[in-house]
Amino acid sequence: MPSAAALRLTIERSLERRFPAALTPAPRAVRETAATGIAEVDAHLEGGLPVGAISELTGPASSGRTSLALAFVARRTREGPAEGRACAWVDASDAFDPESAAAAGVLLPRLLWVRCWDQNRAGISPAQTGKIRGAQTAVWTRPGWTHLGWAHLDQALRATDLLLQAGGFAALVLDLGNIAREQGNRIPLATWFRFRQAADRSRSSLVVLGRASYAQSAAALVLACRPSRSLAAGETALRGFQFQIERRRERFEPLQIRERKPVLSTWSADAAWDTADARWEIDRTKKPRVGERRA
Amino acid sequence: MSRTLYACAHAAEFPAQALLRLRPDLAAKPVVVLEGQPPKETVCALNRQARLRGAALGMTKLEIEEFGGFVLLPRSVAGEAAARAVFLECAAQFSPRIEEDSRETACAFVLDIAGTERLFGPPAQLARRLRAALAAAGFRASIAVSANYHAARMKAAAGRGPHRQETRGIAVIPAGEEAAALEKLPIAALELEEEHEETFALWGMRTLGELARAPESELVTRLGAAARAWRRLACGEAEHTFAPIEPELALEEFCEFENPVDQIDSLLFIGARMIDCLARRAEARALALAALTLDLKLDLKLEDGRVPQRVYRRVLRPALPSTDRKFLLKLLQLEIGAHPPPAAVVALTLAAEAGRAGKVQLGLFVPSADGGPEPSRLDVTLARLKAMVGEDRVGAPALEDTHRAGSFRMESFSVAPADLPKNRVPRPRHASVVVPGVGDHNDDSSAQPRMALRRVRPPAPVRVELFPTLSSKNGARVGQPTVFRDAQNRFEVAAAYGPWRASGCWWSGEDWDDEEWDVLARASGGAGDDTLFACLLVRDRTRNAWRLEAFYD
Repeated sequence: MPSAAALRLTIERSLERRFPAALTPAPRAVRETAATGIAEVDAHLEGGLPVGAISELTGPASSGRTSLALAFVARRTREGPAEGRACAWVDASDAFDPESAAAAGVLLPRLLWVRCWDQNRAGISPAQTGKIRGAQTAVWTRPGWTHLGWAHLDQALRATDLLLQAGGFAALVLDLGNIAREQGNRIPLATWFRFRQAADRSRSSLVVLGRASYAQSAAALVLACRPSRSLAAGETALRGFQFQIERRRERFEPLQIRERKPVLSTWSADAAWDTADARWEIDRTKKPRVGERRA
Repeated sequence: MSRTLYACAHAAEFPAQALLRLRPDLAAKPVVVLEGQPPKETVCALNRQARLRGAALGMTKLEIEEFGGFVLLPRSVAGEAAARAVFLECAAQFSPRIEEDSRETACAFVLDIAGTERLFGPPAQLARRLRAALAAAGFRASIAVSANYHAARMKAAAGRGPHRQETRGIAVIPAGEEAAALEKLPIAALELEEEHEETFALWGMRTLGELARAPESELVTRLGAAARAWRRLACGEAEHTFAPIEPELALEEFCEFENPVDQIDSLLFIGARMIDCLARRAEARALALAALTLDLKLDLKLEDGRVPQRVYRRVLRPALPSTDRKFLLKLLQLEIGAHPPPAAVVALTLAAEAGRAGKVQLGLFVPSADGGPEPSRLDVTLARLKAMVGEDRVGAPALEDTHRAGSFRMESFSVAPADLPKNRVPRPRHASVVVPGVGDHNDDSSAQPRMALRRVRPPAPVRVELFPTLSSKNGARVGQPTVFRDAQNRFEVAAAYGPWRASGCWWSGEDWDDEEWDVLARASGGAGDDTLFACLLVRDRTRNAWRLEAFYD
């Protein structure tokens, strides 16, 4: 009686014209990753966030999503060629803080910031009407979205699409952190598939910040972020936070699985003002203030 | 002995050609160009279709309108000047020594092409290439090549008449056969005074050949010494001292519309043609277009009937000098789309600054993340983004040199490597924060992640309840927030850290005096999500008003 291996070989040979290696499982591709710069997170993800794919950082406010994304962008703007890599931040609700970015180590001249939210705009662009004067009839957003107050979400998606198609950005953050969950869930799945294709082609890491996972099967990695505890120094200084991340989805796992990976991990972030030379002051519960000069 | 060789490029009916070169839609229509003050306007130039339908130079507007079916255009002196510069630019591709010989409504340049055979081939080939270059720029010109300056000039000028079909716009006169080549030209080619033309007509002399065959001494006896010069012109033997002009590179195109244009597409239709001409002229000198200046003359009329000269100007500066027509046209389209002129346009001027072509190695397919975005694609992408979200809402953030929290400015984003701050230290919210790797800071702290803020723009006003008494349960202090509420929700404060006071700009009108509290809070009253979150509450001490400034995330 032929062995299973010999039987499999026979079947594969008979079918090789139509299905090469029909019964051999396809080798899983090893996805290139980029480190986030946070040792605990990189160890948990075994390298970092995937390159050329969509990563989602989900969670409520104060869950560390933005800190993690900024750390990743800081790392991406500083590595690579001498002048750093270009990154982009598509800000659906105009919540990005340049001071936090600078404190996290982001090279600001290498960061393209697109501020989508603008309450003053009426939602009609003369560029789309083609008319210099006279009645403006064309609406540049998706029909109906303007009336729902979703113009900023539409802008964010279109801006992300443009930047991914242009290529050349090492990391692209789509910040939907302030977008309501029901709005994010209504983003068509085809949009996410398009983003995934474009990110793969341009080797950009697309990081989506949101309250929940919106990209579904198009996302290569979904990390659920949670606040764990706050770190205080005395009664007057908030010194930092401890966060938890949970890996919800990972499409491209490493080829060799040595042991079962932990699902949860913890990392902490210090306050922006909590530098080494300021710690002695924290011990005295004195928060260094703007404009103070030190010896 | 050095051999002379001249090529003359002659564009007849230049006022009409200058208007039609940018309007290919009118090329097949009978077009008549009028000059003069109304109502005494007369025809100064016309195209072939108009001539075939019976129009002629000197006809009045009334006579033309009686025919019907003609396109009437006013003469544009500025347009002719721009077209002349383009014409000269094309001719300058073939020889650096050029003399202008424009007469009446014709534009003509004579090129000294001696010694150019090895560059452009034999004279016939040069003539064909010169004519093709002019045709590409939108001109119909006749070319004549001769060893004699005047022979080339007169032969080229005659190309517009009945001889045009015969010569097909190109005539190459072999050396020594100038007289034979000119013999069929009318006496009028000498541009004599009317009195002398009548004299020749009385004698029965109508062509230059008949004049050349007349005995010189008899002519001088009857008409004076000038007759010797006329006869030498007719024989192709007249001498000429070449006086070359120095063409300056002026990359500028101008077009005036007969009716005010209020459609962007119509402007772009003309703009595309202009960009094509400018790019071709720049390429001829191994240059590229570094900047485009768009001047739109607007159709503005005041209530009292006066017409102010208002020009709407936009300047395009691509990241790299380029001659890519599609890219430049897309930039132009996005610029006009984002900043449409406030009124209809009656004239369009597109001027370009020349620059060295970029030497950046571009990606074969999609630019890699290491190389950064391709400058030209990035330009178009940024222009699209600006058209979508606003001019000042796209760019690279830069920190202001101030202690005021949340202050920043937007700078233009570019991929040029030279603009990174090497020694400047951005000043974040707290003075003790130094950006790692940028200033005099060690990289130790860059390894440690930092808490980020998510700003609330504009800051949301909140109502805050403060802890009133001196001693308390839970260790609360006097003046510490315990509850705050916005328009919809009520939040209970679990812990508050502060206050931290900051003030500044007291010497100017933009002074501030704030008190900051880092607050851990949760929603109360059945809002659903009772997760603890951290936020930044700020009290404006001058107005005693609280606002929610940011969330920690």
